[in-house]
Amino acid sequence: MTISSILDWIQGSALSVAIREGGLPYPVIGGLHLLSIAWFGGMLLLVDLRLLGLAMTTRPVSDIWAMAQPWKRVGFVVVVVTGFLLTWAEPIRLYESPSFWIKMTLFALVGVHALIFHSSVYAQPEKLDEGITPKAKLAATLSLILWFGLILSGRLIAFDDSFDR
Amino acid sequence: MLTEFLRWLVNSPWSHAMNAAEWVFPTVQSFHFAGFAISIGTIAIVDFRILGWGRSRFTPAELARDLMWWTSAGIAIMLITGFLMFSTDAVGYHNNPAFEFKMVCLTLAILFHYTLHRQAVGAATPGVVAKLAAVASLVLWTTVVASGRMIAFI
Repeated sequence: MTISSILDWIQGSALSVAIREGGLPYPVIGGLHLLSIAWFGGMLLLVDLRLLGLAMTTRPVSDIWAMAQPWKRVGFVVVVVTGFLLTWAEPIRLYESPSFWIKMTLFALVGVHALIFHSSVYAQPEKLDEGITPKAKLAATLSLILWFGLILSGRLIAFDDSFDR
Repeated sequence: MLTEFLRWLVNSPWSHAMNAAEWVFPTVQSFHFAGFAISIGTIAIVDFRILGWGRSRFTPAELARDLMWWTSAGIAIMLITGFLMFSTDAVGYHNNPAFEFKMVCLTLAILFHYTLHRQAVGAATPGVVAKLAAVASLVLWTTVVASGRMIAFI
């Protein structure tokens, strides 16, 4: 089973055809993908900005965390599910897109970021109420860079054709 | 008159700068996304709080006061980058129904945010009116983003 045959199978699957050629589904799923950035990307920013001491500094980190965390989780699920559906709709084009692979690399790095920082920073927000550790600031900075990179590389996918290759 | 202004925008120095290299437009657009993530995210968190969703020790008024600066900064980034993108194809956007609809919703959303919404947020205990304002705010901003996405498909 070659990669090309897998891509062909996905591209020809009923779900892929329905999203790609159904008219409304593609922009609606794309819109939800974008909306989840608007609804929940802000919460991620808020937590990271708090860790960097730039927003809501008069409030304890654990309070901000308790407020934003459930919404961040919902947002993550929505953005990943809609992103998966958009990918499923156009596997061949995306497989050939350098921007898409940059985006997937950054997405994998988000996983690495969670492995490194989740238990030591995000899982114990009460500890950060006493003082924000340099490690927490590093985690917040990297998180902001990763997520902006994800937005940028995602946006660049639509512009692939305008670049000389 | 309007058409002349739109043509002038298309030929403006910043419009040319936006077209100077392929990466400029998507980069500006990414800042546009980051801008509305900050503004709409901070607005949504206040609205969710008014509606009583999620646990939080903050009152809506406290939240809104703490986040006010970030909400406005996000709106400013969104408007500046949006204007830059609009300038590159002002005539085309003007003729796009999704864009026209988006501008109407955006104007309403911004006016609403700084007037009625602000009053609703200030209420000590959110009543029916405050909750309606929160729903209206979420619907308006959602429509702005969704119609923005539709611009590319019309």
